[in-house]
Parts: sequence; C-alpha cells; structure tokens
Amino acid sequence: MNTTIRTIAAAAFMTLATAAFAQTGRDIALKVKDRPDGDTRQSEMVMKLINKRGSVRERKLISYSIDVGKDKKDRKSIMFFLYPGDVKGTGFLTWDYDQTGKDDDKWLYLPAMKKTRRISGSSAKTDYFMGSDFTYDDMGSRNVDEDTHKLLGEETIDGHTCWKLESTPKDSRDIFSRKVSWVRQDCLIPIKVEYYDKMNKLHRKLTMSGIKQVDGFWMASQMQMTNVQTGHQTLLEINNPKYNTSLNEAKFNVTTLEKGSF
Amino acid sequence: MKIEKINGWFALRGEWIVKRRWWVLAAFVVLFAVGFYGLQFMNINDSWDSYFLEDDPMLIKTEEFKAVFGNDNYAAVLTECDNTFTKENLELIRELSNEILDSLSYADKITSLTDIEFMIGNEEGMSIEQIVPEEIPSDAEGLAAIRRMAYMKPHIANRLVSKDGRLTWVLLKLRPFPEDSVWNTGKGAASPEKITGMELDRIVQKAKYAPLNPRGAGLPYLTDQKMQWIGKEMPRVMGLAILLAIIVLAFATRSLRGVVVPVVTALASIIVTYGMLGYMRFSIDSGMMMIPMLLAFAVAIAYNIHVHSYFRRQFMLHGNRRRAVVETVGEMGWPVLFSALTTFAALLSFLAIPVVPLHFVGIATSTSVILTFLIAVTVMPAVLSFGKDGQPCPKVQAAGGGWLDRRLEAFGQIVLRREKIILSVFVLLTAFLIYQMTKIETSFDVERTMGRNVPYVKKILEVTESELGSIYSYDMMIDMPEDGMAKSPQALMALDSLQRTADKYPLTKRTTSILNILKDLNQTLNNGEPAYYTVPDNEEEIAQQMLLYENAGGSEAESWIDYDYRRLRLMVELDKYNSTEAERELNEITALAGRLFPGAQITPVGSMPQFTTMMQYVVRGQITSFGISLLIIGLLMMFVFGSVRIGLIGLIPNVMPAVVVGGLMGWMGYPLDMMTATIMPMILGLAVDDTIHFINHGHLEFDRQRNYKGAILRTFRVVGTPILLTSLVIGANFAVYTTSKSLSFIHMGILSVAGIFTAFLADVCITPLLFRRFKMFGKEEE
Repeated sequence: MNTTIRTIAAAAFMTLATAAFAQTGRDIALKVKDRPDGDTRQSEMVMKLINKRGSVRERKLISYSIDVGKDKKDRKSIMFFLYPGDVKGTGFLTWDYDQTGKDDDKWLYLPAMKKTRRISGSSAKTDYFMGSDFTYDDMGSRNVDEDTHKLLGEETIDGHTCWKLESTPKDSRDIFSRKVSWVRQDCLIPIKVEYYDKMNKLHRKLTMSGIKQVDGFWMASQMQMTNVQTGHQTLLEINNPKYNTSLNEAKFNVTTLEKGSF
Repeated sequence: MKIEKINGWFALRGEWIVKRRWWVLAAFVVLFAVGFYGLQFMNINDSWDSYFLEDDPMLIKTEEFKAVFGNDNYAAVLTECDNTFTKENLELIRELSNEILDSLSYADKITSLTDIEFMIGNEEGMSIEQIVPEEIPSDAEGLAAIRRMAYMKPHIANRLVSKDGRLTWVLLKLRPFPEDSVWNTGKGAASPEKITGMELDRIVQKAKYAPLNPRGAGLPYLTDQKMQWIGKEMPRVMGLAILLAIIVLAFATRSLRGVVVPVVTALASIIVTYGMLGYMRFSIDSGMMMIPMLLAFAVAIAYNIHVHSYFRRQFMLHGNRRRAVVETVGEMGWPVLFSALTTFAALLSFLAIPVVPLHFVGIATSTSVILTFLIAVTVMPAVLSFGKDGQPCPKVQAAGGGWLDRRLEAFGQIVLRREKIILSVFVLLTAFLIYQMTKIETSFDVERTMGRNVPYVKKILEVTESELGSIYSYDMMIDMPEDGMAKSPQALMALDSLQRTADKYPLTKRTTSILNILKDLNQTLNNGEPAYYTVPDNEEEIAQQMLLYENAGGSEAESWIDYDYRRLRLMVELDKYNSTEAERELNEITALAGRLFPGAQITPVGSMPQFTTMMQYVVRGQITSFGISLLIIGLLMMFVFGSVRIGLIGLIPNVMPAVVVGGLMGWMGYPLDMMTATIMPMILGLAVDDTIHFINHGHLEFDRQRNYKGAILRTFRVVGTPILLTSLVIGANFAVYTTSKSLSFIHMGILSVAGIFTAFLADVCITPLLFRRFKMFGKEEE
C-alpha cells in the first residue's frame, strides 16, 4: 500500500516537476511582465539616490497611471514632484503605446517657467531613470522578446521557491550582457536580479523586498538597485499604493499637468 | 679596516667556492628558474595615475575628483576626409562610432556626428533628434540639411566637426576603471587603460575605415601606443647593447668564458629581479623598464671584468688555475662587494622621490646590483676553476703586466707630473658646469621628452594640433561650503565668468562645464532662441531644468555638477603644451576661482596639474636623492677606509660626473624628465666603483710600500686596465641609447656616456693627485 502511494506520489511529483520545467524561460519572463497590477494604480514614491561617498539625493513624487486602449495594452501616466521644494510641482505626462514603432507622447511642465513643453523624439533606450541606477527597462518597459530567456533551475531564497532565469539581450548594444533573476514562484516578483557587463563581471544588483499584497495585487514596496562597480545605489520606496481606483482617463492631460495635482 | 684581513676572509670563501663549484652552479640554476617563473606575474603599466604613490595628495585629490565626476579618461578618434557630409562617409562614421561603443570593454557613452542627441526647441515644445537620420540620404538636398543641422549650434559643432567639414571627432566616455586589486590578478593581467588603448587601436587600424583616415586619441590610447613603441624599441636597444658588450668583452677577455659569464650574469640578475617584482605584484612602467636592464648589464660586465682580469693576471703569473681563482676571490671580493654596496645605496636613494616609476627604478636597479655581485663572485670563479693548469708566462712576469697596464702606468707618471694644469682645468670646468646647471628645465610633455621623430608622438601631436583633438587638459574642482550651493544662480554666474576667462587663454582649445548643458537647455525651452543661450537667473528654474534634463535621460550633468550640488567642474582642454605658460594659466585661473567663489575650495586636477606636480617632485627628489646617495657613499667610505678624511676626499672625484651631467643638461637644453632624472644617482653609483678600486688598491700598495708615487703607479698598473675597460663597456652600453628616435633616450645615452667617462677621467687624473696632496693613507717612509 505504502509503496503504491509512494509510487503515485513520485509519479505525480515527476509530472509536476516536468510540467514546471516544461515552461520555457520565455514563458516565465512573460508571466513576470504580465503580472496583474490592476487597470489603474497610484502611489507615492520616495527615491533615494546614494553615491559611493554616501551622499543622498532624495526625491518624492506622486504618480498615477491607467491602462487604456485595445486590450488595455497602452498606458497613460502622470507624475508630480513633491520634494525637494525647488522642483515641487514639476510634472511629467506620458502616453505610452504598446505598438512597436510608435513613439510615446510626452509632456512636461516646469512651474518656474509656467510652460508646458511637448517632448518629441526619443533618447537612447538604455538611459537611466531620473539619475537613478534603474534603467527605464528595469522599470518595466522592456519587451520580453528583446532578450533570450533560459530557465536555469529552481532555488530557494528566504524560504521562497524561485525560478532562476537567465536573460541575454539580442541587441549587443544593451548595457548588460546577461542578467540572472530569481523569480518568486508564488507572486512572480523577481526578488533578486544580477546584471553582468560586457566583460561578464557583475555590474548591478537588484533586490526587492517588502513584498505584500495590496488590493489583491502583489507588489514590492522596496527596491534597491546597487551598481557594484561604481558603488552607487538607488532605494525606491513605494508608499500608499492603490490599485483599481477610479481614475478618469480624460484627466491624463496637459490641464491636469499644469494644475500640479490630480 | 684591515684590508689584508678582509681579503683573507674572502680567500677562504674562494676556496669554498672552488671545492663546491657544482653546488654553486646548481644554486645559480635554481635561482634563475625561480626568477624566470616569476616573470609571468610581471605587470607592465603606465597610466599617469599609477605614477603617484598611494598616499600622494595629488592622487587623493584625483581619486576624489573621479569619485565625484567619474572617469576623466576618454577614448577618441579624429577622422579626416575631403568632405564628411557624403552618404558613404557618414555611414562609415556611424559604423566606426558603433564599433567603438560596442567593442570597447569600458565604453560608457559615445558622442559623434552620428550619435548625438540634439534638443531642438520650437514653438510647440522641444524635440530630441539626431543630426544624422537613421536612413542617410544621398541627394544633395538631404545632405545639405544634415550639414545645416550640424552647424546649427556653434557650441556643439565646435567639438564635433571642423569648420571646413573635413574633420570629425568621435568621443567615447569611459566607465570608471576598477581598482587595481580587481584587475591586477597576476598572470597576464592588463590594466584597463591598456585594454582600452589596445581595443581602440585595433578598430582604428581596420582597412574599412581607411577612407576616414582615423587617428586615435585619449590618454589610454597614448599609453598603449607608447607601450607598443617601447615593445619594439626595447628588444632593439637591448640586442644592440648585448652585441656591443660581447664585442668589448671578447676584446677585453679574449676568452669564451669571459664573454659568456658576464652576459649570463646580467641576464640572470635582470630576470631574477623582475621575477621577484612579479611575485610581489609590482607594476612596472614600460618607459622605465629598460633602465634597470641596461644598468644590470653595465655592472654585470664591470664586476666580471674585475674578477676575470685579476684571475687572468694571476693565472698567467703562476699557471695554477685553482690558486688563481682563490687569489682572485681574495683580492677582488672586497672591492667588488664594497662598490656593489655603494652603488646599491646610491640607487636606493631613488626611494626618496615620491614617484612610483622612480621607486621601481630604485628597487629594481639596487636589487639587480646585489644579485649581480653575488653571481659575479660565485659563478664566475666557479666557472673559471674548470680546466687545466697553464704555463707561467715569463713575459708578463718580467714586465709585471700587459701592454695596456704599462701604458696606463706611463699615463700615471704624466698625471703626477702635471698636477697644476690638471687641477686648474678641473676647477675651471667645474665652475662653468655648475653655472650651466642652473639653466636646467623640467619638462614632461611628450614633444620635448619623446620628440616628433617617434612615429606615435608625431601622430598624437597632429591630432592635438588639429581643430578638434586634444590630449592635455586640466579640471578645476570647485567645492562650495554647503550642499545645494553649486546650483544657485550666483555660483553659476561666477562659473560663467571663470569659464569665459579660461576661454581667452592662449593655450585653451575649449572649455566645458555644466553651463554648456544648462544654457543649451534654456535655449531649447525658450523656443530655441539664441538670446536664451544663458544661465537662468532663478533658482527654481535652474533646479527644474536640471531635473528635466535628468529625467529626459541626460546623464552628462553628473560629470559636471556633483551629487549634493556642492561641487562644480570646469574642464579646460589645451591646444598645445608649454610647461611655463601652462603653469602660469593654471595658477591664474586657480587664483581667479578663489576670488569668484569665496569660501569654496578650489582644486586643480587632470593631466596637466599632475605633470606640474610630478615635475616639482622630480626636481626636488632629484636633489634629495643625489644628496642622500652622496651622504651614504661618503659615510660608507669613511667607515671602510676608517677615516673621515679619506671618505670626504674620495667624494671629490665622484661629484664630478654629476656636475658634468647636470652642466650638459643646462647647456644643451636637455629637459629634466623621468628618465634623465635617473642619471645622476645612477652615474654616482657607477662612478664610485672606479674610485673604490683605485683607493682600495692604492691603500693596499701604500701599506706595502709606504711611498705614494710607487703606490699610485702600481695602482695604475693593476686596476687601470679594469677601470678603463669597465668604463668602455658601460659607456658603450649606454651609448646604445643614442640610436633611438626618442629624445629622452638620446639624452640619456649622451649624458650617461659623458658621466661615465668623466668618472674615469676624474679617477685617473684627480684621485691620484688627491692621494699624494692630502697624504691620504698616512706619512711616507724614506
């Protein structure tokens, strides 16, 4: 009897394990990218930029975003600076299109000049997000198929089973030559990511913590990105996150931007 | 000290060597093998930063600067063609820029005509565009539009493309280089500078870019080019030196052993020394690498000639080989050891100069001198002890020496007769040369030290002198008393006037600071109107514009204003290098910055201030090091000869070569640089050998004869030949330097040869006269 159970259990385990491994790296990367995060979201963000010497630049922003368009693949977002005082009220409005080849629409408002400027054209994609150690890609805008993904196996970190995923960019001009992520299987959040440079030396290290469910959505409230080569690091803290609140798409416009608050 | 007693001790060692000659040879082979194995850990490096000692204030400032503003090194390429604005050429520039960005390990960000984000302000807003569109047009109209855009903003055009459209500048910003401990892991490790230079060179050399006539620039490239050139020059010079040494040795010793052993001694001491430095993970400067080699060669030959010639004398006298070997070690062991010790002390004085390559020279040369001594007094006698006994040569016995020995003795007679003339010439010459010495100039710029005859120097200078390129620059770091002050309108206005002043200096090619970004941004945000190419006068406006810049992905600002908005940076690139004018401009701008930013700390950094500091170190260090070696040698002589008087008098002929070297430098206008700075202590170390042999033997003979004339003439006969021969060999060795295309090598050659021959002349003309005049060894007996 016991043997039978054991055999069945083993068979079941094998099937499960095979099923787990049958997922390709790309599947996992896609899951991570498509992790549910509601149709609208808002939060306050504290960004601390810390350089090797320990100097800190702190910024506080409030951000709102809404998924729009067909299949809710496009996204409109608006961001206002709250701190430091001399940039308070500075805002950015972005209409982000999923369609490849279609440039995003961007506006900015500088209260000191009382001017809204529309920004057209695009800067290089590997640029860092507001002087931080995060690139725009790290902030989630990178398309899954820009990399080749390989599932390296499973590892347990802090009691959580993670997929270990290696992603290699297809474009040799990317700032990293490969990245290895440890994706928590229960919430699909990569809790640790290592980025390697062109010489295959560790370049940046990301850790996500404060993982919790808010309004039914998994989120990491703290992210730390460290550039191990320069000693520079960025701490991102997300406060008061709210999902699926009633935000009006029509308000994601220049008038709101100039008003300085949502 | 009782010389006879010491000689007795050495004679016992001689017997020991003869008895255990196989063990001696085996020990030598083991030492050689260990040294040889260590060679692979040797690291050749010569970035400017690595010239400074770890705790040097200049290096600390530079490190602080780098920590704040990132890597100040860059890699660049100057392209040149008849017309840049053609489809083919633009495509090629794009390909070149892409390849540089993609294949350089430390690449960070590229700026070129085809890779520049260009903000254009208009009524509606601003657009970020590329000067050269993705699809490059081939029609005249499309190309004309590109040309118009390239020249639209003069402050950007002047660092990208020349006015006539023939030259363009491709600039690659580099990531911060990791610390030494990261890359210097032993075996075949290459410094980030070297890797960068090599990678750039490989691209520039590619046939497909030939239509652009690309030429590399930037200090990493310069470093690599220098190392490549030295990599070719060193084997040539060393090969010639070995060949010359073999010829002189063959003539001097007329025996196979007499040629082979010195050459093996030299090679072994160099290999073992460099191997040991390898085990210690020492970085060796490529330019200075040859100095210990040539010096080891010189002393190896000198010591072996002393040993060999004494052996030959004794062997010819009585024909008993083993007895001759024991006598040789007995008689020559002490003077050779003593001269090795004084040379060692003189060379070690390089440690007084706080510059890494000179420390390296000090350690490497002094170690190889001691090794050479050990090998010369063990291996040479051991090798000589093999073979049959010979017949005593009656002719030599009767004449008491060979033909040259007798000629030199006759020369000694002349010297003793012409005391007045000799001493007057000596005094007059010294006075003249000391006056010339005051004219010595220090210089580190590549044109004066290496010279345009060296192909890579010529190339790099052409790039520097072109409308766009530059190699020398300096940075002013302005450290305000409080965080946030650097972005105040007052600070930025002050920076503006500082920058304007620097722009007007004769040596300035162009200047860069945060203002270049801010003004451009301000103009863009104000519909692109040129009147707004100014600094906004409102604090919030500045802060918001900077935030905008960052948010738009601009990463350049970090290179010009620091994190806490406390430090500002002004970079001044130079057109040409002229040490006097450069120093004047640097001092003036530093003073002006001090007035414009009261309360702020002003720090000049970059290649030029480093040169200036290094020059001061070398000048001061040269004097200290010479003083120290003179003092040590004087003390050693006083101790060994047991008399303060002998020690002091013994120094007189040894100061002479240094005076000649310094005088010639002032007279001929040879600049004092890293290489020529090594000559004086080195020549002092070598010159003192002759004096020691002369005094040592003179003392011995005087004790035997108690008569100065007899003792001096006998000394001429016994040590005259070896002194002359060693001077010839060492002189010939150093003369090889003059065959180089590099000015500092040529200067090194001429000055060393002059120094060596002065040392010889001083020892055969002045030393004997001093003996007699000052009754150095006591009273004569009738």
